[in-house]
Amino acid sequence: MSALRSYGLLVRWTGLRQKTFLPFAIIIQGLFSLGIVIGYPLLFPQIDARTILFIATAAPSITLITMGLVAVPQQVAQARTEGTLDYMRSLPIPRLVYLLADLTVQLLIVLPGVIFGVLVATWRFNLPIDVSPWVVPAVILVVLTATSAGYAMASLLPPLIANLMSQVLVVLVFMFSPLQFPADRLPDWLAAIHRVLPIQAMGEVMRGTLAPAEFPVSAGSFVLLGAWCVITFGISWRVLARRR
Amino acid sequence: MQYPDVYGYCHTGWYHDTIRYLKDTDPGPGPMKEVVTMLLEIDGLAKAYRKGARANDGISLSVEAGEVYGLLGHNGAGKTTLVNQVIGLLKPDAGRILIGGHDVVADPGHARRACSIQPQATLPIDGLTPRQAIELVGRIRGASAIDVRARRARLVDGLDIGEWLDQDGRRLSGGVKRLVSFAMAAVAPGGLVILDEPTNDVDPVRRRLLWAQVRALGDEGAAVLLVTHNVVEAERSVDRLAILDHGKVIVEGSPAQLKERVADDLRLELVLEPGAEPPAPAPFVLHTVVTGQRILATVPSTAAAEAVGWADSLKRAGHVEEFSLAPATLEDVYVELVGRADALQDANGGHGTAGSGGDGAAGTDGAERARRDTEEASRVGAA
Repeated sequence: MSALRSYGLLVRWTGLRQKTFLPFAIIIQGLFSLGIVIGYPLLFPQIDARTILFIATAAPSITLITMGLVAVPQQVAQARTEGTLDYMRSLPIPRLVYLLADLTVQLLIVLPGVIFGVLVATWRFNLPIDVSPWVVPAVILVVLTATSAGYAMASLLPPLIANLMSQVLVVLVFMFSPLQFPADRLPDWLAAIHRVLPIQAMGEVMRGTLAPAEFPVSAGSFVLLGAWCVITFGISWRVLARRR
Repeated sequence: MQYPDVYGYCHTGWYHDTIRYLKDTDPGPGPMKEVVTMLLEIDGLAKAYRKGARANDGISLSVEAGEVYGLLGHNGAGKTTLVNQVIGLLKPDAGRILIGGHDVVADPGHARRACSIQPQATLPIDGLTPRQAIELVGRIRGASAIDVRARRARLVDGLDIGEWLDQDGRRLSGGVKRLVSFAMAAVAPGGLVILDEPTNDVDPVRRRLLWAQVRALGDEGAAVLLVTHNVVEAERSVDRLAILDHGKVIVEGSPAQLKERVADDLRLELVLEPGAEPPAPAPFVLHTVVTGQRILATVPSTAAAEAVGWADSLKRAGHVEEFSLAPATLEDVYVELVGRADALQDANGGHGTAGSGGDGAAGTDGAERARRDTEEASRVGAA
């Protein structure tokens, strides 16, 4: 009960601190989704409906992953530099509760943009999007994994390196990950790596729950992502709890 | 023995734990059996950083409930390292830390319940108003909404920061932010309240209000660990203090006890004319600390007249711009002790055994460090 109380208070604290930044964040996330959904198809002179659907259903994963791997490390690095992270760690709150409250606020910031992007895609291309209820666990898994990875990265690496890493990861996610194109277009070795990394699985669970009729998702993707979620979340929890 | 419910508003675990500890250690009624309850006990604490700097080197000290205890020392003397071990952010290499009799090295979670802290860094509370920040932290620390509101109102009145109560934290000045940060530590205080440089950036009038609130925390029964390098203010505000240098406690006692070391001494302060060389000390001068244009000479009170004559002759000769003679203060004890420790270091050819997390003090020339701190202390003293 007291953990739940701490969780509520912390969500309020973090939410209020992000209050002024929140509308901008939501607008940027919305524009970002819009850019992928509307902008990307412009690269191709002729584009069939299935490809558009493929790209449109990749947008949520890209938005969520970018938030986790870019925005979160930047925030954590800032909190470390200004001493807020140490202050929060000095309060009587279980580390797990602190981490969950932070991830909750991240989710609340990113979600409106994602939903907006999907709605615009449906309207613009008249897409047969038929969302499955599995989309809820899919979003939670993707957000938890991506933000935990960002959290762990920013807590373990020096701020400068963490920022650099997040830039490298953006390029990796955008250009060399099978999110907006099928994995068979990648060189064999890279495709093999992506069968183990969580990025492809993130794309698959999002796509498979947003348009299940067109892109069936295997339980294997959920299992792989679940494993990554446990690993990255466990690492950030340990990192947060450790004493130097 | 009755225990006043000093934190009757506060229902956090630490309070009950502490009271239980007080009761457990109570020797019961008896002639002249005074209960001394050490709320914080540190024994043989050592911590070295990876680069080999020994930030804490066998520190032992204890703070009673109701006591304001000053921890003085240069930047890099090991104060913040000590604090971070007490609240469980750092793990000691060796030594024990007990809070209310509870081993917090083994159970850092207990330390966080039992301590509230005002950190040295100014906390950004962007997006929050002081009202929200103070009340939310109070509730996160476990106090009820009603208690927190009442306590917040008292603190805001006491610190005279009501006019900023509902302003966004982004628009607050540095001094107000520090006062808010103090209120956040005091709104649902632990049995141990740690204040790290609480008066930085605070205006002189509110500085006094702040000290009154610090005193009130002690009077309500909390042990207050006050970390500062402001010797002048500490002298007026603490019950006992320890001076830390190169990770060691070099002296401990009440301000009066420490000043006994210099009770028969006077301080002669000389300000040199720009470009003038420091004069050779007169025979009656016990020791001098030269800090840039300023010379602090310690002289025995029996030599007061000679000292004034000497200083006056230096002034007439154009070596000295101005001078003053006054009773020695805690600052003189501090400068003498720390300056001497540095001189010893220099004589041994060894620098840099201190330094907390590399904040730059290690390896600094002794005189330079003394100058920095003396200047800092006198600047604050002048304010």
